[in-house]
Amino acid sequence: MNAVTEPATITRVPTAKRHKSVRKNSRRIYSPYQDENPGHSDDEDKDAERVDSNDPEEMFQNIQYQKEIIANIRTRPWPMRKKLRVLKLAREIVLKYEGRLTRTRGYQAAGANVGPDKSSEFLVKTFACHFGSGVASYFIFLRWLFGINIVLTIMTGAFIVLPELLAGAPFGSTRSKTIPKEHLDSAQDLDTIWSLGGYLQYSVLFYGYYGNVRKIGSAGYRLPLAYFLVGMAVFAYSFITLLRKMAKNSRLSLASASDENYTFCWRVFCAWDYLIGNPEAAESKGAAIINSIREAIVEEQEKKKETSLAVLISLRILANILVLLSLAGSIYIIYFVVDRSQRLEQEKPELTLWEKNEVSVVVSLITMIAPSAFELVAQLEMYHPRTSLRFQLARVLVLYLGNLYSLIIALLDKVNSMSSMASPSNWSDTTAFLATISQPDEENASTPLPDMTERKNSTIATILDISRTKSTTAVVLNHTAPSNMFNRFQQDQCWETYVGQEMLKLSIIDMIFTVASILLIDFIRGLVVRYLSDCCCWDLESKFPEYGEFKIAENVLHLIYNQGMIWMGAFFSPCLPAFNVMKLIGLMYLRSWAVLTCNVPHQQVFRASRSNNFYLAMLLFMLFLCMLPTIFAIVRYRPSEHCGPFSGQEKIYDIISETIANDFPLWFSKVMGYVTSPVVVLPALLLLFMLIYYLQSIARSLKFTNNQLRMKLQTVSLNHFRMYLGGAGGASRSKSFHQMAYNPSTRYPENIHSDPLFRKSIRPEAAGIVTAQSLVGRRAHTTRYVIVNEHEARKKLMRSATRVPRHYRIADEPDDIVELYPRNIKRYAIRTPHKSYQPHFSEEEEEEEANKSTRKGSISQSHRPRSLSDLHRPARFYIGDTVDSQLSMAKDLARGVYGAHEEDWEEAECRPHSHTNPRGVETAHRHYEPQVKPKIKHKVEPSLTESDSASLASSSDQQNSSTDQYIQVIHNKEKYLKSSSKVAKKKSKTGIDFNRSGSKELVCSNV
Amino acid sequence: MGNKQTIFTDEQLDAYQDCTFFTRKEILRLHGRYHELAPHLVPMDYTNDPDVKVPLALIVNMPELKENPFRNRIVESFSEDGLGNLSFNDFVDMFSVLSEMAPRELKAIYAFKIYDFNVDNFICKEDLEKTLNKLTKEELTPEEVNLVCEKAIEESDLDGDNKLSFADFENMISRAPDFLSSLHLQHLSDTLIQNDLQSVVTGTVPPWSNSGLNVYLRDTMVVSRT
Repeated sequence: MNAVTEPATITRVPTAKRHKSVRKNSRRIYSPYQDENPGHSDDEDKDAERVDSNDPEEMFQNIQYQKEIIANIRTRPWPMRKKLRVLKLAREIVLKYEGRLTRTRGYQAAGANVGPDKSSEFLVKTFACHFGSGVASYFIFLRWLFGINIVLTIMTGAFIVLPELLAGAPFGSTRSKTIPKEHLDSAQDLDTIWSLGGYLQYSVLFYGYYGNVRKIGSAGYRLPLAYFLVGMAVFAYSFITLLRKMAKNSRLSLASASDENYTFCWRVFCAWDYLIGNPEAAESKGAAIINSIREAIVEEQEKKKETSLAVLISLRILANILVLLSLAGSIYIIYFVVDRSQRLEQEKPELTLWEKNEVSVVVSLITMIAPSAFELVAQLEMYHPRTSLRFQLARVLVLYLGNLYSLIIALLDKVNSMSSMASPSNWSDTTAFLATISQPDEENASTPLPDMTERKNSTIATILDISRTKSTTAVVLNHTAPSNMFNRFQQDQCWETYVGQEMLKLSIIDMIFTVASILLIDFIRGLVVRYLSDCCCWDLESKFPEYGEFKIAENVLHLIYNQGMIWMGAFFSPCLPAFNVMKLIGLMYLRSWAVLTCNVPHQQVFRASRSNNFYLAMLLFMLFLCMLPTIFAIVRYRPSEHCGPFSGQEKIYDIISETIANDFPLWFSKVMGYVTSPVVVLPALLLLFMLIYYLQSIARSLKFTNNQLRMKLQTVSLNHFRMYLGGAGGASRSKSFHQMAYNPSTRYPENIHSDPLFRKSIRPEAAGIVTAQSLVGRRAHTTRYVIVNEHEARKKLMRSATRVPRHYRIADEPDDIVELYPRNIKRYAIRTPHKSYQPHFSEEEEEEEANKSTRKGSISQSHRPRSLSDLHRPARFYIGDTVDSQLSMAKDLARGVYGAHEEDWEEAECRPHSHTNPRGVETAHRHYEPQVKPKIKHKVEPSLTESDSASLASSSDQQNSSTDQYIQVIHNKEKYLKSSSKVAKKKSKTGIDFNRSGSKELVCSNV
Repeated sequence: MGNKQTIFTDEQLDAYQDCTFFTRKEILRLHGRYHELAPHLVPMDYTNDPDVKVPLALIVNMPELKENPFRNRIVESFSEDGLGNLSFNDFVDMFSVLSEMAPRELKAIYAFKIYDFNVDNFICKEDLEKTLNKLTKEELTPEEVNLVCEKAIEESDLDGDNKLSFADFENMISRAPDFLSSLHLQHLSDTLIQNDLQSVVTGTVPPWSNSGLNVYLRDTMVVSRT
């Protein structure tokens, strides 16, 4: 296999020759593999016999094991040829033995493993092969939002809009579904339609259209209930999806561990975007990389010297003041505009187009302009680009939120202010009506807020159509309204519809502005820059106008803002999600077109994109804040009296209690009454708090453990390094004993601190093994020096063994070895019977004695303190998914590497549970029973144990690292030095073992 | 390409399917790509597992790799002989590991191999210098390169041996946001999609002519420039 080291020369020889040489080459290279084959078949035969003799349970385990190989084979870093061969073998074995059990049982499980992870990941398809993953992240985000909106649309469409259309009262049948006569003329005017009045207002688009009949259609569909539930489900669904996505992402991104910063490493190793496949993009990417590296260098150099702080600080203060001012200004302007529109509606009978759309236009303009202004301001601050980007994003988010909030507050205020003017006001128009209607209204509704509805009524009437002068509604009302005038007001008082209209209007105008900005700012600018650059005195392409940059962060924020509007308005306008779906489709096409034709990639690479929760966190924030006003409106305000599904109710959520009272059996309402009583709610709340506290403290402790692990890892590798340098003497006896005794992993396996052991056992192994495998035929340096360490330590141990009292044997070991190779510890556990006749016991041994006795009493392994299998599971739990996979990775690697070196590795794969597995990491819990059996045997025949376990270890433990075997052998030797009783027999055996497994190690430690 | 004749047996396809992250169709398509690279060299019939290798120079010219500064290293680290000659097995392996579905751990291993220029299982300063020079097309001054290499090693070398072992590397790379997940070659079918997209963008084909909304949404986002 050392053929790999040949220099690369044959690539450019003429074809015929090349062909030949390739062939020759490949034959030579693959010969080791081919040589292995006979060995395999032998092993397989042996294996077959063994399996034959075993019980079905073991057979099943074996099959499961093979299936695991089949399922995971694609994740192993082997050459394809080897994978194919292993796969074939595993399949043969499975087929061979599965017939004896059941043929169906396992394949389903295996199939379940393969299926979903293929398809689910497939969806996350990256499309920015030319602009890199940054731009792609925007579109992925967009598509994800699109998916959410589709679900929301389906929810509202299927449960609200369709039933209403199919089974609800038809258009014109009831008063709330009829356009007032005096509006009918203008109902189809573009002007009216544009401001979402006329036919649009009296359509399924808005809250007001939905009837309040409790059951509609022949099937008795409860539309009002559905309306309320769907309105809540929209929020619930959004929350759940968002949180799940975030959890998934954080699992992927190891966010908790990323507080370290590898500035240079990342810039070197992670700079290149492997998706780039376009020369132009590659070039600009290269330039960007050079820039970023230079930047880092400069930064590094400037860390030492201080710049003029005073100027900088004053500049930054100034910038922040400017930003705050503009934020306050934008909020004020929005409030002012809403107020003004309200006043205008009251004062003027006819509103111009501008006056009608003023609010949305102003809001959209602010959202368009302010971010650019912020960017200009940010240049004052002279932050590092990444920091300034963060600031920029935070500011823009605050701006958007401020906009939305001031808008909704102004709207609600509008709704509110009408009700506050209880006494006959100064309005010319409405006072008279109010005077006339106050009495019947109180009769009918007898609510505490009768005049509020009147007020809204009148205002909205004025808003919607001031020109109306007389009422013509002839619809039968479900209450006795004395006058036509009154009817008219009642009909139009839908504040929910009004809010919905405003939100939809805002969304539409926002869309128009986005399209306009893409066309004007990006497209026209691109055209101008491209075609006028020749006839201009400066270079347009690189100097002033340039091409528009695609600002990922701002665009993503804009999407978030847009989604916020949808969430805010979805309750009042059920079709808003549907509209948003269309908007997003359009935006996607337009954006991708714009990116293709007239944008250049952003200069600063913003890496916080896909696997990062930054955007999602903002979206979640937005969702929460957008939900608040809706919930507030639902809870605070009384639903409109004469329109919408909740008309006639005191509060919107009364629909629930009403349904429970009327339509459920009595016991249910009783139960609900109990459940919602403070007696239950308060304890439940308390419980929730406690749970949160508990989980949080667990998370904190996990974080702590995580940190500790990292530090330990660092110290371990440092220790190793020191030992490698020959400083093995650092571990004094008492110190090491002390560390041994307090090494939690050896003493308290079920303790939470046991995971350091786990981690350590994995890390070095992964390091050595992976490097070892990365080039078959070469030994890793890591492995090498680990081995040398072991070697030295053991030698020292051997030397000292004659002098040192017996009970120091364990204690004497340098702690590194014990920590790194916890498998050793277990070996001691296996061998304790021999120690038992030693006069002195260290604490360790005493404990082992105790454990041994427990083991004797019951085969239960769960109390065996040094088995890694016991540590394994808690560790799994604490470290989490990623490490789990790491573990399996390391496991796979371990097999793979040593598979490459030891021809009988297949055997190990095929009968993993055949004998004692001293390491037990990977197989212990799977091959539980068989592992115990030989141990019992040990106790019965103590004289055999040494040689027995040694040979077993070397023969059955190929997936262990060979280092272990080496240790094993040395260990035996040591014993051999001391106990002179079983010399001859053991000598031969250990000698063989030594030759067999140790020789390799010796070779590589000589390297 | 060539579905009429059998390229692989069912068994082979099954095996490939299990060993890679691809479907049968994709494997066949991959074979097509492989065949395109050297039509005279690669047989259409793979049922008897011919021992054919395509040299590095041809593979490196694939559009997926052409712009990549590390293209030679990528191909070399996937070739069994270490010289960059890829058999079909290696070829499939390369695309499988550098596909989206491959786990991060696997990618980390191969990323390490890619950056380990002198194949000594450590990323030493020499490797780093080479990486940098490839990345920046040797536009940095030697002092700058030197500084960056030193800093990079200083940052992530846990065991203080002045070079990065795989453990160091993995520790560092797994914390890099996004890198491992985006360490893949653009999908095989992308070139096909690009052609479709091109026609959509230029208006010769309406967008809805593609099959299925999902496919369309997925595929149209392949942003490309002529």
